[in-house]
Amino acid sequence: MVSTPLFILLSSGEHEKLQIAAMIASIAAVSDRPVQVFVSMNAILAFAKDTPADKRYQGGAFSRLLKEKNVPNALMLFQQGRELGDLKMWACSMALDIQGWEMEHLVGGLFDGALGLTKFLSDAENGQFITL
Amino acid sequence: MSERTKIDARGTYCPGPLMELIATLKLINIGDEIEILSSDKGSAKDIPEWVNKVHHEMVGITQQDGYSSIVVRKAK
Repeated sequence: MVSTPLFILLSSGEHEKLQIAAMIASIAAVSDRPVQVFVSMNAILAFAKDTPADKRYQGGAFSRLLKEKNVPNALMLFQQGRELGDLKMWACSMALDIQGWEMEHLVGGLFDGALGLTKFLSDAENGQFITL
Repeated sequence: MSERTKIDARGTYCPGPLMELIATLKLINIGDEIEILSSDKGSAKDIPEWVNKVHHEMVGITQQDGYSSIVVRKAK
């Protein structure tokens, strides 16, 4: 049985949503489901290169718990998904342009490049689409 | 005789144990086994689920005091 590809549109900058997006993406990817993640809006801010961890991950009550306990962090999970499965990550071109950011502004080794929604939506017609 | 690698993932949370198992599976030979210890109840369910989905072999799970011992054989 061939697995349905998964397309995740990540726009929230909340720690809890970053975390669950990373969990979904990495677990799907290691379970033989191709995954693509499109990062836009506030979410892209969490992927800026030189942000200290406590500023990168900001959220509510659960965010505090995630930071206290020995839970793999979101960036690490995305990285593991890429290493152990078929996971592609795209930075929203518009979100980069609007801030005057280049790809180098983002954490290295995570993104396959910048993309627009037209392409992402077109690819997503073949799969399951979720937004966080 | 097959080798068995032990991973102690107790005290870490989902999906940490699963990811450690998968990374270690890449390093061992087909037919070898991994025993992973996990205190996270979610992982005790998720790991067998993953093993079956991707067609490795579940050798067994035993409950210990406050953790599970899950043995997986690399099948491919």
